[in-house]
Amino acid sequence: MRRVLEGSQAVAEAVRLARVQVVSAYPITPQTHIVEILSDYCATGAMDAKFLRVESEHSCMAALIGAQSAGVRTFTATSGQGLALMHELLHWASGARLPIVMAEVNRALAPGWNIWVDQTDTLAQRDTGWIQLYCEDSQEVIDTTLQAYKLAESVNLPVMVVLDAFFLSHTYEPVDVPDQEETDRFLPPYEARIQLDIKNPCSFGPLVPPAVYMEMRHDMAAAMETALKNFASIEDEYAGIFGRRYGAVEAIACDDAEIIFVTSGTITSTARLVLESLRGRGEKFGILKIKLFRPFPVEEIRAALNKAKKIAVIDRNFSFGASGIFAQEVRAALCNAPVHPPVFGYIAGIGGRDVTPEVLEEIYWKTKQSPVPERESVWIGLQEVKYGS
Amino acid sequence: MVKPMIQKSQEAENMENPIHIMPRSYLSTENNKTGSWRYLRPRYEEKTAPCSAACPAGEDIGKIEMLTAQGLFKEAWETILRENPFPGVCGRVCFHPCESVCNRGEFDDPIAIHTVERFLADTAERNDLKPLLERLPPRPEKVAIAGAGPSGLAAAWFLSRLGYTCDVFEAAQQAGGILRWGIPLYRLPSPALQREIAQIEAQGVRIHTGKPVTAGFLTDLKSEYQAVYLACGHGRTTELRVPGESLAGVQDGLDFLAGIRKGETPDCRGTSAVIGGGNTAVDVARSIVRLGGKAVILYRRRRQDMPAFGDEVQMALEEGVELVELVAPAGIESENGRCRVILRQMKVAGEDGSRARVEPDGDKTSETIVDRLFKATGAEAAEGWYNPPAASSSILSLSHCTLERKDGRPVTMFGGDVTNDIKSVVHAVASGKQAAMAFDTLLREGPDAILPKLNACSVGGGPSLSMEIYMGGERRLRNPHVVVYKEINTDYFRYSGRMSQPRLIREERTRSFAEIDLRVSGNIAMRETERCFNCGLCNQCDNCHLFCPDLSVIHDQSAQGRHINYDYCKGCGLCVVECPRNAMTLEEENR
Repeated sequence: MRRVLEGSQAVAEAVRLARVQVVSAYPITPQTHIVEILSDYCATGAMDAKFLRVESEHSCMAALIGAQSAGVRTFTATSGQGLALMHELLHWASGARLPIVMAEVNRALAPGWNIWVDQTDTLAQRDTGWIQLYCEDSQEVIDTTLQAYKLAESVNLPVMVVLDAFFLSHTYEPVDVPDQEETDRFLPPYEARIQLDIKNPCSFGPLVPPAVYMEMRHDMAAAMETALKNFASIEDEYAGIFGRRYGAVEAIACDDAEIIFVTSGTITSTARLVLESLRGRGEKFGILKIKLFRPFPVEEIRAALNKAKKIAVIDRNFSFGASGIFAQEVRAALCNAPVHPPVFGYIAGIGGRDVTPEVLEEIYWKTKQSPVPERESVWIGLQEVKYGS
Repeated sequence: MVKPMIQKSQEAENMENPIHIMPRSYLSTENNKTGSWRYLRPRYEEKTAPCSAACPAGEDIGKIEMLTAQGLFKEAWETILRENPFPGVCGRVCFHPCESVCNRGEFDDPIAIHTVERFLADTAERNDLKPLLERLPPRPEKVAIAGAGPSGLAAAWFLSRLGYTCDVFEAAQQAGGILRWGIPLYRLPSPALQREIAQIEAQGVRIHTGKPVTAGFLTDLKSEYQAVYLACGHGRTTELRVPGESLAGVQDGLDFLAGIRKGETPDCRGTSAVIGGGNTAVDVARSIVRLGGKAVILYRRRRQDMPAFGDEVQMALEEGVELVELVAPAGIESENGRCRVILRQMKVAGEDGSRARVEPDGDKTSETIVDRLFKATGAEAAEGWYNPPAASSSILSLSHCTLERKDGRPVTMFGGDVTNDIKSVVHAVASGKQAAMAFDTLLREGPDAILPKLNACSVGGGPSLSMEIYMGGERRLRNPHVVVYKEINTDYFRYSGRMSQPRLIREERTRSFAEIDLRVSGNIAMRETERCFNCGLCNQCDNCHLFCPDLSVIHDQSAQGRHINYDYCKGCGLCVVECPRNAMTLEEENR
């Protein structure tokens, strides 16, 4: 059914359709709409689920680890500081191989206090063993959230579905909401692979010696590899039922492109506009949208980028002392290929600043005119700051 | 049994996505005795609610409210009777000092404790309940009690529960004293009083009415009884000490009230002046209104200084009683069968405790002509020997009673109005209780044991005494610490206003002596008592169990219902913090 939904509502509809059994969350802007709707669904019976109120995000993830260990499908949503507070338990959830799904609304970290979009919160959690999927619009949000359950449960790793604050979480768009019946066909009830059993009581996660810890981690590494394969087959299956597919990456007009932008999140949509404009003026411009960030789809990225002359990565995030994070990852993906283009890094839109078509064009021309990349990412649109009075 | 299809898909999945190692421990975590980490130790320890410490009778109010909230009305009523034989009386006429210290008052409004007390008495009356209370084995000693007012009857109630034979001698034809003769029916109807007197008699107390204790009769009694309790009260109105006081139109307020209780309908036509500011003055004025007259209260201080209960004053004014403040009678003259009252104007000259100190405002006077004038400025003992003797080595003067002990002679005890600073029903009960405890301790353990024993029975370390503690009940285990508001975890309580007392409408009130305060139903009483913090008392809410992160609060069959497993309690103190009512204590671990 076509409905006009916010990104937040799209998440909530997907969680309802996935027949999640336990939801726990601590409210934080801009995630709040998601959990408001879900607590309402739990209270009214629209969802047959238990909503656990908690006093912090740390407790929230602890509660979900407990619930998922007991054998049910779970969900949470958070943002910025909330995700940072969860950090310790993110490792626990993945290490315990619990397929928890989370919606993460990208929000800048304080100080200064800022509720607007910035990817640093989720990218700071890239090494926690969570699969990360970045969405571009509300339709992708609803589809990705449903796929996330299937993907998580197929490899026993948790998944973060990531959406931009406000530009996506609070923007209304027409969305095709799947039927419950079709969703059930795509996503059958959860069958726990690792589950507590009161008939055979045990505790999970006791002390393990050096002799086995490494093997446990290797299993997780292997599961990430499997996730890369499974993502494609799950997309196939989803497309078979619902007719929509996004890809781990989407290469837009990359075949003959000389300069390719690497984007994620809602900046991709803006870049699509710029692409039309630049192509109209004869510029050989392409876009590579990265949706799947963990596991990082190295082969697909190499295939899409290798023929270009220059790559420009737009990062709405920053790793202090080491440039934009997507840029690092793209460089790392390309550097061992025998021939590869130079990677230019740009920082834009941090802390919710708008990334307009003009900003992207500026990046395009900068890239075109620079013979080699700077050592560091280039900050776009920095204003002159007057010091003192 | 595993379904084959699932088995197959799982196998396929496992091959694709192997989890070689998922560490599990089947060892019980019980082998790690985390209690050894503890340096703070929580324990269950009930404390004292401020209401119970403020109640001169030491009623276990927090528990009474808890039992009422649970619908255990008989048990709640019996809990009152352990400390006070007059719930039906006190539920109506007590000045409820308990409510002014209620911790709930700092949150929203105090609990309507007196209304609940009356509800419980009404419920006992309606169902003709018989209390099942602890009693000590009979003793050979007999006690004579002079005066069947609240103090004498309370003494008889407690002494008989301690095993003594009691004879109460009363000058009037009916028992009750001030309760029967001094309080109008619209505040205390006869059946409520009669039922509680009968309950005292049912316990074996003999009440001999029409038997005034004269000086001679007292001598006789002392030869027959091992002790005499003199509770003759303040039955005579004090004099105004102004010229014209003995004129025909000047009447005694207490006599007027007694006459009405005897069935008389005194002539109240025209305007009557009432001198005084206590409950008797207000009662006289309101009775005059009910008999068709107009009443003016003349008071030497201000309204806010009146010893009469504020509610009663308010209702009196609503009923048409007029109040003239800051006037004192200077003389009364007869004029055509009426009274001309000369009034000296008073002014506030400072504070005297919580009341205004007043003095004449120069020579200013005024006068008023009324049809009659009632004296209600206070009362005193009718005979000098009703009062306790001056201090001497044979006198033991306690907070609510006095004991006179001479070798080889029976003990003489004095209690009630003659020994209490505040002349109230509940203070009279306190006298009877203290005298009973002191006398019993004297007989069982000797004179030196009296003060330590009374201290041990104190509620919250103050002057209120508990007979339940004296008789060895559970209450003795409580810490006397009086719980203050900040010790209540108010997160567990919702704001909810105090119940309002249903009353007769004003027009109905002024037409008859029908009781003004109407009965309340069980669900209203339960809702009101659910508001109670039960300060310091465990109501089995089980928060300690729910919050214990170490699963160390273990349910059991004990009275507490649970205990702490110190093998695993790490002393985090969560249970103590989350206890809404301060019924737990966290202490430093001694080891």
